[in-house]
Amino acid sequence: MKPFAYARPATVAEASRLLGRGSPAIAGGTDLLGLMKGGIAVPERLVDLSGIEGLRGWSRERGAGLRIGALTPLVDLEEDDRLARSLPIVREALADAATLQLKGMGTIGGNLLQRNRCWYFRDEAFPCWLKGGIRCFAADGESHYHAVVGTDAGCNRVTPSDLAPALVAHDAQVRLASARGTRTVSVADLFTDPALHRREEHTIRPGEILTHVVVPEAGLQRRGTYRKAMDRKAWSFALVSVAAAARVREGRLRDVRIVLGSVAPIPWRALEAEQAVEGTTVDDAQARRASELVLRDAVPLKDNAYKIPLARELVRRALLRLAGA
Amino acid sequence: MKSDHARVVRTRVEFEGEITDELALIQGDDVEAWPEGAALEKVGRPTPRIDGASKVTGRARYTHDLRLPGMLHVRILRSPYARARVRRIDASQALALAGVRGVLHRFNAPKAAFRGEETIFRDEVRFVGDEVAAVAATSEEIAAQALRLITVDYEVLPHVVDLEEAMDDASPRIDEKGNVEEAAKHERGDVAGALREADVVVEATYRTSTQLHNSFETHGAVATWDGDLLTVHESTQHVFGVRQGLQAALRIPYGKIRVLCENMGGGFGSKGGVGKYTIIAALFARELGLPVRCVLDRGEENLAAGNRSATLQRVSVAVKGGRITALAHDSWSNAGQGRWVADPTGPTKGLYDVPNVRARSYKVMANTGSLSAFRAPGYVEGTFALEAAIDEAADRARIDPLELRRRHAAGEHDPMSGLRYSLKRLIDCYDIGAKEIGWSRRKPGGLRGSAPGTRRGLGMASQLWGGSGLPPAYAMVHLNPDGTAVARIGTQDIGTGTRTIIAQICAEELGIDVDAVRVEIGDTDSPYAPISAGSLTVSSIGPAVRLAARDAREQLLEIAAGIMEVPKTELRMQRGSIGARGALRSIAKVFEDLQNYTVIGRGARMPNPEDVSMKTFGAHFAEVEVDPRTGEVTVERVVAVHDIGRVIDPLTARSQVQGGVIQALGFALTEERHVDRATGRVLSTSLEIYKVPTVKDVPKIVVRFVDVPDTEANNIGAKGLGEPPIIPTAGAIANAVSNALGIRVRHLPLTPRRLLQLVAAAEAEGAGGRGAARPS
Repeated sequence: MKPFAYARPATVAEASRLLGRGSPAIAGGTDLLGLMKGGIAVPERLVDLSGIEGLRGWSRERGAGLRIGALTPLVDLEEDDRLARSLPIVREALADAATLQLKGMGTIGGNLLQRNRCWYFRDEAFPCWLKGGIRCFAADGESHYHAVVGTDAGCNRVTPSDLAPALVAHDAQVRLASARGTRTVSVADLFTDPALHRREEHTIRPGEILTHVVVPEAGLQRRGTYRKAMDRKAWSFALVSVAAAARVREGRLRDVRIVLGSVAPIPWRALEAEQAVEGTTVDDAQARRASELVLRDAVPLKDNAYKIPLARELVRRALLRLAGA
Repeated sequence: MKSDHARVVRTRVEFEGEITDELALIQGDDVEAWPEGAALEKVGRPTPRIDGASKVTGRARYTHDLRLPGMLHVRILRSPYARARVRRIDASQALALAGVRGVLHRFNAPKAAFRGEETIFRDEVRFVGDEVAAVAATSEEIAAQALRLITVDYEVLPHVVDLEEAMDDASPRIDEKGNVEEAAKHERGDVAGALREADVVVEATYRTSTQLHNSFETHGAVATWDGDLLTVHESTQHVFGVRQGLQAALRIPYGKIRVLCENMGGGFGSKGGVGKYTIIAALFARELGLPVRCVLDRGEENLAAGNRSATLQRVSVAVKGGRITALAHDSWSNAGQGRWVADPTGPTKGLYDVPNVRARSYKVMANTGSLSAFRAPGYVEGTFALEAAIDEAADRARIDPLELRRRHAAGEHDPMSGLRYSLKRLIDCYDIGAKEIGWSRRKPGGLRGSAPGTRRGLGMASQLWGGSGLPPAYAMVHLNPDGTAVARIGTQDIGTGTRTIIAQICAEELGIDVDAVRVEIGDTDSPYAPISAGSLTVSSIGPAVRLAARDAREQLLEIAAGIMEVPKTELRMQRGSIGARGALRSIAKVFEDLQNYTVIGRGARMPNPEDVSMKTFGAHFAEVEVDPRTGEVTVERVVAVHDIGRVIDPLTARSQVQGGVIQALGFALTEERHVDRATGRVLSTSLEIYKVPTVKDVPKIVVRFVDVPDTEANNIGAKGLGEPPIIPTAGAIANAVSNALGIRVRHLPLTPRRLLQLVAAAEAEGAGGRGAARPS
């Protein structure tokens, strides 16, 4: 690891001025330190956000939705019974995420902004497209964990976050603050549209700090559920995950969101399946039919075709869960 | 000949599945084994680890913990190419970095023999991770930084990394003679005839993946010179093996080398001798005059520290009249750059009484890290293929798979040597395990699972292994005036509880408490003991320890007889006292006038008995639940039954079995090295991607022992347990999944990806898909 400088600003404005290329933010560090050890991130200076007040904990005000500080440790979110009543999907999505140690250090902001786990990306010997190279090594290499859809730019990475699909399913937003001001974008838009061919995974700009995650009232009115498939029973990034949410009244699903994780470079909306169940009461047959619409455009690589039936099965189960309970 | 004199004997020994005749130097006489039912006070009693408290409180010192004054740290530059010639190395920039004390590479390193090669830095590097250069610096961080400043001019050569690609004639040849070499073969009876006349023939291809040891403590050594005396602390399974390797590499006498291993965090076969890191540390330490630490990181551990190689296996089973009439087994192992190769056909040759057997095993060379022994090398892979094929045959012949095995498991003679078994309780293992798991619930086609769409299955597999131990091994027991003792033997505790076992045996013979015995091991300045591998530690050193303790006891009683004026034959030692006919006096009291003395008992491991085959047997039964729509396999329960002769410490034996089952669970379901074929780079270099089981993956493990002493094997009646518990688990799990789904599992690990592929293939081929699904 190359020696680096370290700063611990006390305010968002100060932090914003320090941030930039070669000067990334560090919160829990559970991802960044690994990237640094692997030679993938080689910062000149780390900007530690932990000294900034007001970015921990959560609050809910009537009409204003739910507001979670970006530095809140994941374990605090998972263990909070009141939060679990407001937005149960958070606990569900975190239950099988990482390990207790990682969740103790990791924050919700960092979870959304963590970089992908592609083994070619994480090995500095591979000059892959995302790192400024010309090609994706997974495309004709080992692709067990890679994307099956949405890989327009030829990068076959997948989003690793468990929270991202869950938050997208509830139309959550993030606050991005900088010395110049604050803007709000949806969690969905925090992820770079692969079609834009930008070598960035997130749309956060240099100098910006993710300060809060906000779930608007409309999002909180939805019932949500999260399903994750792993290749062991703990401490695994998802093979495929599914977050589904909807307003459920008299058995009918409205404002349905079905969001897949680990199948695409971004949290992937299964729009056709959403439409198929919108306004309906979902029974077994309908859940199956809708699930068959999932990933119809998928183009699997050598090793990852299994993700398609797996995603469909998780969607089917998630829909039945939404309609039941 | 007076038996106290040293003498050389020829004795039959088994190591890692291979049986050879060896010479051994012994002295003294043996004693009769403790008979079955003997009233023993320490041996056979649950005894907590005598070093357990020091380990759980963090007081126990490991090689990794060692920090000596002025100590330098080494990082190793490893080849980024799967195969290349090292043409030029420029280390000037690295040497100029503040804190860097030295750089070694092929152009400046002294000659140092290592495993048949003359130097530790090859001119042609042959896998990603092969050693190219090493830097010694004042900190690990500086050494790591310096690696980036070394420029190497490589001539990149064609390579091949995948087993089946390496077998292909069109692939680059790594060796002039070709990449495939015959390693073992055996034929008995008329296999072709039996296959021709069979009612049912199953012929199937099985694949297993490369499993990595990933010991908690990575490989490493700390070397320091005091004048011309070299002291090396190393995390090793064989301090004497390290000494031998250093002697060969550095050409210095044994008397000038001391190797120490106080505690170690696992080896599983991969720490059998000197490593290049050891020699590098010793060379730097000599050159720079300071202690030098060279410890691998987790990434290196996954690249260049050995592995259980991937295999491709073809197995044929012939059944006629309800009996297996023939077995044929061909196996290819990807040895990478390893010289030795394991033999997966071992179980096929020796486990069952089958008259017609043909087995061939091949070593395949490729540009990957070396195969090294990994807990029952070959037998884990081979037992899976054999036992899966036998289950396929049983299903096809409509015979309960356990029943089919019973018909071939009762034989009293080793089918390989024709020798009578000293003890074989395989049928007992079946009976105990079948009852415990509830085998009668098993139905062809499996059972309904606990959730809609899930399936449940039962499977089992048998275990064959050696573990009878071997000479030479020597022990010394010092008795103190207060009745305490010190046992000294050059073995090492690789985490299996060796210290505790030694203390128990010693305490048993001396009639003192286990607490009253201090055990000094892990030091080449102690009497020789063999490698802690091949399940041979207890059965090799245990008998020597018993004789040493007994020798000390006899000497003490001799003197006591004089002092107490009682015939020696009437004296007994028990509970720290000496006495005759119920009148006990403490040892300290008896010798109170003597003030200081040391009674030194000596013992040597005696040769193995002739004309008898000594094996360990066992059976594992698994119950699994499978979700065919998500590919998730949940192992609910494993019942592990073993026949290992006398159990010395039921506590440590139980944890040994649990550990074996868990490591096998990884082999069966989650652990797999991923390599990029185009570059030969290992992609799974961390424990994030190389998936060992977590506590949530671990099933309920029921451990049972037959626990009948093998009184012919050695004077303690015990055989080894290091490897037996990892051997049959994967086969049992695979058979249970096959039972649950009606789809044959032929490729491990059975990840959700592979299971979903199997299900999809079976559905594509039509309902059931029995035997039709092709492995990927």
